[in-house]
Amino acid sequence: MVLRKRLGRLGQLLMAIPPVALIAVFIGFPIVVSVIYTLGHLGGPNSAVSAVAQHQVSADGHLVTWRAYTQVFGEHGFRAALVASVWVTVVAVAIVLVLSWAIALYAWQTRSRSGKALSSLAIVPMFIPVVIGSYAILQFWSYGGFVKTIADVLGMPGFPDLGYTLPLVVVAEVWVSVPFGVLVLASGLAGTPPSVFEAARDVGATPIRATWSVLVPMNLLPTIIVVCFTGISVLGSFTVPYLVGPTAPNLLGPEATETFESFNEPQQAEVMAMVLFGLAIVVAVPYIWATYKTNRHAAGRVS
Amino acid sequence: MTVDASVAGRYVVPRYRGRRLSIVQVASGVGVALLFVFIFGPLIWLMLWAFAGVWRYPHLLPQQWSLSWWRQVFDYPQLARSVALSFIFAPVVTALSAIVCLPAAYAFARFEVPGRRGLMIMLFSANAFPKIGLYITIAGLFYALHLMGTFFGVVLIQLLGTIVFMTWIPTAAFAAVPRALEEAARDVGAGRLRTFFSVTLPLAAPGILVAIVLAFLASLDEAQGTFLVGVPNYVTMPVQMYSLVSDYPPEAAAVFSVLLAVPSVVLMLLVRRHIMGGALARGFQI
Repeated sequence: MVLRKRLGRLGQLLMAIPPVALIAVFIGFPIVVSVIYTLGHLGGPNSAVSAVAQHQVSADGHLVTWRAYTQVFGEHGFRAALVASVWVTVVAVAIVLVLSWAIALYAWQTRSRSGKALSSLAIVPMFIPVVIGSYAILQFWSYGGFVKTIADVLGMPGFPDLGYTLPLVVVAEVWVSVPFGVLVLASGLAGTPPSVFEAARDVGATPIRATWSVLVPMNLLPTIIVVCFTGISVLGSFTVPYLVGPTAPNLLGPEATETFESFNEPQQAEVMAMVLFGLAIVVAVPYIWATYKTNRHAAGRVS
Repeated sequence: MTVDASVAGRYVVPRYRGRRLSIVQVASGVGVALLFVFIFGPLIWLMLWAFAGVWRYPHLLPQQWSLSWWRQVFDYPQLARSVALSFIFAPVVTALSAIVCLPAAYAFARFEVPGRRGLMIMLFSANAFPKIGLYITIAGLFYALHLMGTFFGVVLIQLLGTIVFMTWIPTAAFAAVPRALEEAARDVGAGRLRTFFSVTLPLAAPGILVAIVLAFLASLDEAQGTFLVGVPNYVTMPVQMYSLVSDYPPEAAAVFSVLLAVPSVVLMLLVRRHIMGGALARGFQI
């Protein structure tokens, strides 16, 4: 009986292992190998890459060397790309948050067909391949596109041509990320009874105040999910900035790719990837914290 | 007229077709219109390009319509091949992803897998590592394993991008099935397998369907890794799109885009209801 139970446990564990093992071998292991590579160890699993790489830094018998990092941080181009990545991410996340809250809130409040139609409209970009979405946005907003043409018709010939600029990267990142924000917030609001909002309104709170002081705190976890996942996806994005962004300074995604593919400097590209990963971890902290916290609450309530 | 400032949204504006419209209604109407332009404008604009013969700035519509770019795209053998390749890879990757992840999703939802939450967070953090950094070292690994330029190499690199949501979303879907229903089925004599296939699976199906569609789209959409591993043997649609964008006039890229977007739109209509119902969002509240 005990043996059977143990075998059962083993079977359950075996079911859970395949995706974890796949990630460990093909993502976890490469991450460890990249960390070692950026610290100056060129042999072992890194020998295939380092055999043909340019401008490598070697630890030369020392445990680690940080020279690859100091070198990358010393480059003006990298610092500009880092700054660009951070501000584009912050602005894009802020816009996504406001926009998806507004859409989800409208749909939740009206509970009408128009509200539903609006949120189904907002999730369409999720199903359009990012390459196409980015290309369409570039055509739409840049010189010769709809926005510029309308501005001309309305007598604003000075309207800026956004093609290949960082603001257009923000626009495209928002376009790509809004569906996720709307879905997560709509799902959170669906579990919030309308009476709490009405109660706040009855005691004299303005709609904005009622949203801010009642609905937002009640939907903190969905809000954090939107911020963290959007932030991470914008930080590490490649396709959007590559297609609609400027040559330089662009985001770190295309910058690292160019460092690897055009300049053949994989070690420096890996350093940039480490910086991005570091930023992504910082962005993920609230999500992990909130998840643990809510789960403890939920567990307490159920038992 | 005095209006209490605290009841913003009840300001009264002139009648419109006999109806009183509040500022909030007008503002939300404008907001909806702007959102429509923001989301659909680029797609409609691209659609117009696909059927444009002559279209010069500053005209809001093509001056001449034409199907000639469609003919050109269909006559170009490389493009047809890349379309075919994409539709071979996507189902293979999706099926493999389901085989690898769905049992794990069930285990995470129903059994006390040790370190369950840690494992799920690990899946997620792996996804947070920038792709390009990963691909550089994966390239070394793939060379060593002789996977570079192979069919399986491309499948593997696309598969890695589907693992997280193929595990998370179905886990939430399985977890949302009330245990009481399963127990009821067991009580009236159904076996474990019977219970799973007649009770648990049908109830979790919407979440699983959403995950499957997202995996299919992710494979169809994946360009960076496929480019690294597959070129020149396996050039899929999105990889082709990169060169198309830089080397061809917008008309050709537009035609190709419309072709590429069709399967996505069909799949969207298929699962729209479930996605809106929260099947996707639940997956992120692990």
